[in-house]
Order: sequence, then structure tokens, then C-alpha cells
Amino acid sequence: MATRSIVAGFTLCVIAAGGVVSAAHGADFDWQKFHGKTVTFLANNNPVSQALLTHKADFEKLTGITLKVDTYQEQQMRQRLVTVMNAHSDEADVFMTLPSREGAQFAAAGWYEDLTPMTKNEVAPDYDYAGLSRALLTAATYSGKLTSMPMNIEGPVLYYRTDIFKKCGVDQPKSIADIETAAKKIKACDPSITPFVSRGLKPALPYTFSNFLHNMGGSYMVDGKSALCTPKGKAALDTYSRLLRDYGPPGVVNYSFPQISALYRAGRAAMDFEASNELRTVMEGGERLQDTALIPLPPGDGGQVPTAIGWGIAISAYSKQPEAAWYFVQWATSPTVQKMMAVQGIAPPRSSLANDPDYRKWIDEEPVRKQWQAALDVLAAKGASEVGYPIVANPESREFIGQAVQDLILKQKTVDQACADADKALNTLIAQK
Amino acid sequence: MVALETAVIREGETSGQNQQRLELAALSAPAVLFTIGMIAFPVVYTVWLSFQSFSSTGKQSFVAFGNYAKLISDNEFWHGLWVTLALYLLSLLLQLVLGVWLALALFQAERLSGIVRSLFISPFMMPPVVAGMMWLVILDPSLGAANYILTSIGLPSSDWLASPTWVIPTIALIDTWQWAPYVALIVLGGLQSLPPSVYEAAQIDGASPFKTLQRITLPLLLPTIVTATILRSVDLLRFFDIIYITTQGGPGNASNTLNIYGFRAGFEFFNIGYASALMLTLTTIVFGAVLAFNRLRGAVAW
Repeated sequence: MATRSIVAGFTLCVIAAGGVVSAAHGADFDWQKFHGKTVTFLANNNPVSQALLTHKADFEKLTGITLKVDTYQEQQMRQRLVTVMNAHSDEADVFMTLPSREGAQFAAAGWYEDLTPMTKNEVAPDYDYAGLSRALLTAATYSGKLTSMPMNIEGPVLYYRTDIFKKCGVDQPKSIADIETAAKKIKACDPSITPFVSRGLKPALPYTFSNFLHNMGGSYMVDGKSALCTPKGKAALDTYSRLLRDYGPPGVVNYSFPQISALYRAGRAAMDFEASNELRTVMEGGERLQDTALIPLPPGDGGQVPTAIGWGIAISAYSKQPEAAWYFVQWATSPTVQKMMAVQGIAPPRSSLANDPDYRKWIDEEPVRKQWQAALDVLAAKGASEVGYPIVANPESREFIGQAVQDLILKQKTVDQACADADKALNTLIAQK
Repeated sequence: MVALETAVIREGETSGQNQQRLELAALSAPAVLFTIGMIAFPVVYTVWLSFQSFSSTGKQSFVAFGNYAKLISDNEFWHGLWVTLALYLLSLLLQLVLGVWLALALFQAERLSGIVRSLFISPFMMPPVVAGMMWLVILDPSLGAANYILTSIGLPSSDWLASPTWVIPTIALIDTWQWAPYVALIVLGGLQSLPPSVYEAAQIDGASPFKTLQRITLPLLLPTIVTATILRSVDLLRFFDIIYITTQGGPGNASNTLNIYGFRAGFEFFNIGYASALMLTLTTIVFGAVLAFNRLRGAVAW
């Protein structure tokens, strides 16, 4: 009993102290409001959460909230989430989510807590909600409900080897056609090098393929119907699969980012079209630091429409303590934390940080970081978040896009057959409600 | 008088037996409840789920046998069934042949050192995820050791897991690497329990080693081999882990077994009802196979 009252007294003191601190800041916001609570965070073990969680102790110290972290690889995390949510369980208060993939689906299933009221009424004075990327906030808004807060901005970018380009007399690609010309020259000039590598794994490849489709003027849906068999759709399928088949590594149909980054980092590939987030992995060990340049995917007939998406951090609709959970979400997406994550290679979804002196210093240390930032600026300004079909069953739509590309890489179908089969399956999927 | 006494004794016996039964029932109640809770309930719940349809937003409706009707007209289901059976038969054959061969070789060896024995059982002690990751690296067509070895001895390289033609044999080989030693251990146990008198008789009759193997060892080993077959069949028909780690059912759908298909339908695409129908069909197949092999075991017992 005595211990408990001492603890309670101590807690009160801390709360009071916290109150004084925030009052000193001239606002009624109190970071210590939920002192003693425990918030559970279901995290995807990717560079974004890894960077964020290096600052976990700061959060616990600031708020007095205990943060319990459940980390899984992406697919396993999603499966855990599906199980928890279908059981209407409060086991996960906060979880990471990709609005571009599952946003519509999870929102329709009612899994996200609406964050709009919290962003209005429960924010620290320095949160700078207006500074967050408009596009990413819009992409996370469904039927007027804000479903998650953006954690980063990312998209596929073209990493290429300047030394190999120089040796083989190839210039920086100015168009998608140039990529193929470059690949052809490199193949002839040094057969030991894989000229081009990108995603060939079925469920993973829509992320990179979408950028080709959009740059070449294509679109997944036209007038409510699947449009892979339009001339532009077919051209994109043909170009993407041909690049991988004729200039990619053997076994590229099983390639996603781990294999791609490993191949490029080992010096075995000349061009690598992969996520901007992979910069840190690709540069690990420093071997590629001096011989790599980085640009957004060059334009095609449709101009330059880079893919720009971001991970979001959401509160579960079944959480019993959404207010305490919001304190974590708010802290994780605050300018202070996003700045700390930025110098760990996580591009912030806030343009205001681009000019922050510490961040600029980090960027200026390496030329490739400057190019990385320049590419991200293009992504932020012109990016589209459409990866796969803009329908509730987006995850399943990626399956059919992937199948069409793989059929072409493996030469199992002609372009006409592959796109027709995909369109048929996708139209059925679109018609499902 | 005597009759009456007997009746009284019998009555006493009956009530004693009844009480004993009650006690036994009470003692087994936790196990029964556990079985109902952990096995019967999930199965019944899955049956119920298989009669439901879930929209991609999670709204459900009763469709009776709709999911099963969809299954019959679903090409991917038939393809999955074919992949499951092909992988099953190929892996089983490889594992039985190699397992029996290994067991015979080990039986000849008088004494096995601890290191050899540990090495021997290490593949199936390894978590399938670790085995899958390890083989994924070894078999990578660009960076892996397998192609390096092939090309350095002048053989053409292979796409292994990335080739729609070779993916099933490759997965069967990985599984055989992992589980043939297990089959060998079971068969070795069987070999050690064979009666020596039969062999002595064969020796006296002047039977050649091959004839002894063909006419004595293998027939006497059949019950053990059938046991190993049952154990491997249950695992192989619901093959999942190594495929999920290495190919996720690809390239294309070349290694999309029923179990992988059902898992993805349920957990990635939210079609819980259809996934339940798929899984129940698979369960029926596994159950049927086990029943058939159990019959066979009865037939070959000696």
C-alpha cells in the first residue's frame, strides 16, 4: 500500500512537473498526460521503423509512456495485423501501413481510427501539421477520414554506375528508350556485368513497373476498365519485361529489393531501378559511394510521372487508448524526430526539413546524397502514388500485373495474350464490391 | 440365498464401476476439453467459414456451397492440386529411395561417431525457414554457389528456383536434403529390429546379398517404410514453409501448391471463406491419404 501511494505520489509530481514544462512553453499541451500507460506498436522491420526505433528511449522519457514494439517482416506484419483486426483485438494500438497498397481496403474495413480530430485538438505547438506533405496526407484520406500520418517519402529511382558508363561510352539516360540503348551497349562492352536490374518478383514488381507505365503515358484504369491492353499499356509491359529478360540477371523473376541491392552493391550490375530507401543498403561498406549516380526514372512518351509513396503510421480502431496512441504517432511524425531520421537516410515527408542546416550538412557530405535529395524533390513535386489498381482490392490487383510481366519475362505468352488475360482477371476484380 | 448374495455383490461391483468410470471421466475431462477447444472447434469454425463469402472489405454473407462450386471452376485450384501432387510424389519417391539406401549403408557401418550422427540429423533439426534462406542463397542464379560449381566443372548453369520447369524438382531436392536423413533414421530403427535368424537361414541356403535384400530385408522392412511414408505424406501434402520462403508460389504460379494458394487467398487477399474451402479440401486429401496408408500398413504387417 505504502509503495503504491509513493508511486502514485511520484507520478503526480512528474505529471505536475510536466505540466509546468508545457505551461512554460505557453500552451496547454502536456506530453506527460498519459504517463504510465503502455502503447503497443506493430512495426514493419524496414529502414523507416529501424531509424525511428533508435529514438524509442527519447519517447519514453518525454511522455512516461512505455512503448511495446512488435516487429515483423512486411508480409508477416500484415498477416499479424489481419488476424488481430479480424478478432477486433486491441493488441495493436499503433501500426505501420502503406496507404497506396492497403489504404482503401483497411479504411473500408473500418480498421483505422480517424486522426482528423486529434491533429486539430491534441497537438504540441511545434508539430507543424501544415508542413507535412499535402499529397501524402491526401493519399491517406478516405471518405474524409485521415487514416495515417506520413512517416517518409520514397519511390523507385535509377542508381547507375558512372565508371561503367564512362568505360562503355554511355551517357546518362535522358529517356526510357535511352535505358535500353545503354543496356545494349553495356552488354556488348562488358558481358560480365548485368546491364539492368529491377523487380521481377510477382507481388513486388508493380512498385517499379508503375513508374514505367505512367512515364510511358499509360494508366491502369480507363473509364472503369482495366487498360493494360491499350497501346501504351502494352508498350510499358513490353519494355519493362524486355529490359529484365534481355538485360537482367538470370532468375530475375525471383528478384525483389534484397537481391537487387545485393547484386548492385557487389558491383555486378550497371543500372539498378529500386527504392530510394535502399540508398543506405546499397552504400553499405562504401564500395559504391564514389562510382554511383542517381536520378529519377527518365521520361517516356507520357513525360515524367515518378512513383512517390510513403509509409504511414496509423491508430487501430480497436485500440482502447487512442489518445495515448496518438501521442506516439504525433511524436513519431514530429519535425524533431523526422529530422533525426532524415540524417539516417529516411527522406522526410516535410519540405521544411530540406533546408535544415544539420540535414543539409549530411546531404553535402557525399555527391550521391545530393543527387538522392534532388531525385526525392522531383518525386515530391511530380509524384503519383498509384501502385497497382486504385480499387479496394489493390493488393490482389498487383498479383495480375505481376503475372503479366512474368509471363513476358519467361516468354510464356505474347504481349497481346498476357495483357488480355490480365485485363480479364482485373475487370472481374474491379467489378467485385 | 446364494443368488441373492451374488446379486448384492454384483450391485456393489456395478456401483463401484460406475464411480470408477466417473473418476476416469473427471480425470480425462481436461484432455477432452482441450481437444475440443484446440481441434474440434477450429475445424467446425473453418467449415462454417467455408460457407461464407467475404468481400474485400471484410463484409460477410452466407453462400452455402458457393465457395466449393467456385473451387471446381477455378483453374488455379486444379493447377494447385496438380502441383501439390507432383511435388508430393517426386519428393516422397526421392526421400524413400535415398532414406532406405542411407539406412542400409549406416546399418553396415559398425559404429557411428558422434560427429557423423550429428551431421546426419542436422538437416531436419534446422528450422525450415533457415533451410529455405540458405538454399535461396546457394541457388541464386547470379550470386549463388550452385551455379559457380556447375560452371567451374564445365556444366551449364541453371535458373533453379527461377525456372518454371525446374522449380518443382529443385524444391523436391531441397526437401529431400532435409528429410531423407529422417526417413533413414526410421528405417534404421526397423533394420535393427529384424530377426537375425532369417538372415542366418538365408546364409545357410547360400542366398546372394542382393537376393537377401530383395527377398528378406525389403519385405520385412515394409511396415517401417509405410510408417515413414505416412509421416512424410502428411508433411508433403501440406508443403508450405520452404516454398513460401523461396518462391512464394512462383515463378508465375509454377510452385503454387494448394496450401500456398489457400494461405495467400486468406491472409493476403482477405477471401477467408474461399481460403477455408480450399484448406478443408486439402485436409480431406491429407486425411484420405493417411487412411489409405493405414490400411496398407495393416496389409504389410508381419
